Amino acid sequence: MKITIENNEAKFLFRIADTSLILGQRLAELCSKGPFLEEDIALSNCSLDLFGRAEELYKIIASIEGNKFTPDDYVFRRNEREYYNIKLVEQPNEDFAWTMARQFMHDVWAKEVFTQLLSSKNQQLVGLSEKVLKEIEYSLIHSRDWLYRLGLGTEESNSRTQAAFDHLLKYVEEIFNFDELDKTYLTNVENIEKVWQDEINRVLSEINVERKEIQPLTMRDFRDGFHSEHIGHLLSIMQYLPRAYPEAKWS
Amino acid sequence: MVVIDIHKEHQEIWNYLSEVPDPEIPIINLVELGVIRNVEKQNESLIITITPTYTGCPAKKLFEDLIREKLIEKGFEDITINTVLSPAWNTDWLSEATKAKMMAEGISPPTDDNKVVICPKCKSENTKRLSQFGSTPCQSFHSCNDCLEPFNYFKCHR
Repeated sequence: MKITIENNEAKFLFRIADTSLILGQRLAELCSKGPFLEEDIALSNCSLDLFGRAEELYKIIASIEGNKFTPDDYVFRRNEREYYNIKLVEQPNEDFAWTMARQFMHDVWAKEVFTQLLSSKNQQLVGLSEKVLKEIEYSLIHSRDWLYRLGLGTEESNSRTQAAFDHLLKYVEEIFNFDELDKTYLTNVENIEKVWQDEINRVLSEINVERKEIQPLTMRDFRDGFHSEHIGHLLSIMQYLPRAYPEAKWS
Repeated sequence: MVVIDIHKEHQEIWNYLSEVPDPEIPIINLVELGVIRNVEKQNESLIITITPTYTGCPAKKLFEDLIREKLIEKGFEDITINTVLSPAWNTDWLSEATKAKMMAEGISPPTDDNKVVICPKCKSENTKRLSQFGSTPCQSFHSCNDCLEPFNYFKCHR
């Protein structure tokens, strides 16, 4: 059965759920490949938080939609154009500075989004938001700490951090092109951009990384399921097993 | 702080659930960890309400399996396990007795807002954090500056 989305709230929540999932998958790619053992564990822990967050959101989506789809159905049975994550989080790990810059940019966004969802009319969503805000705060400490260490570290770590922001900032503009759905389910969309810009600018100025005028990439909106080229590769790895062996079960 | 809302009439079931160890920190059980929020009995069917420690805790599914396994072993057949996220799990639900048990087993228990982390071996407060993330989502990794013991600290989460 093809997965369709009927309800506006579900459509909106897919954006947040898919963003959590795809970033979780990016971090999971680093499991056993972290720069050192403690960081490997840290990245895997953050990945688990993101997967858990996505899973709970998919459950809420299924209950809004009143269908029988499980989180696994949503994760493994949708194609690129049926994913609605922000393009920032599908960008590859490239190097550790990219990973941390991407994480920090995401965490600042996620914190404000879930803070606004505390006022949702959907009580399941309010309960989840209360819970995940604690986890986001912890992840934010981690990603922000790393940016200080990298930005204020050596010439090499600073230049890589600069390169990471120069690249990743190209993908940010679409996040703030809010549509009617965002405006319906979030309480103050303008504040999401304001909080985000202020915090990014504050941290960059403190870590000697320049916020350059970046020409955003002209790609169509993630809200319509448009992506950079990376999502297909990511999904093909993530979905391979359940698509090839639909009957496979953990035993 | 109310640790756990134990319904006296289901004491027997709570006792069974106390026999289920946390799969990742087996020295404490699921009741002590605070993940079991409610036990209800409707005729022959049992409804257990649980809450995860962290949304991404990999032991989440295992909690359910272990609870089911234990209750089946005790002769129950009709078991429903519901998960709730609110109120969010927090370490204030751990009793002093549970914290003492952790300490005795070498896991430093949570303290107020992580201000003081005590070495479980020599009880020194002169310790340092090696990593914000430990071997499970609920722990961070530390070492003692006095006796050099490396240890896990169960993070204060509230």
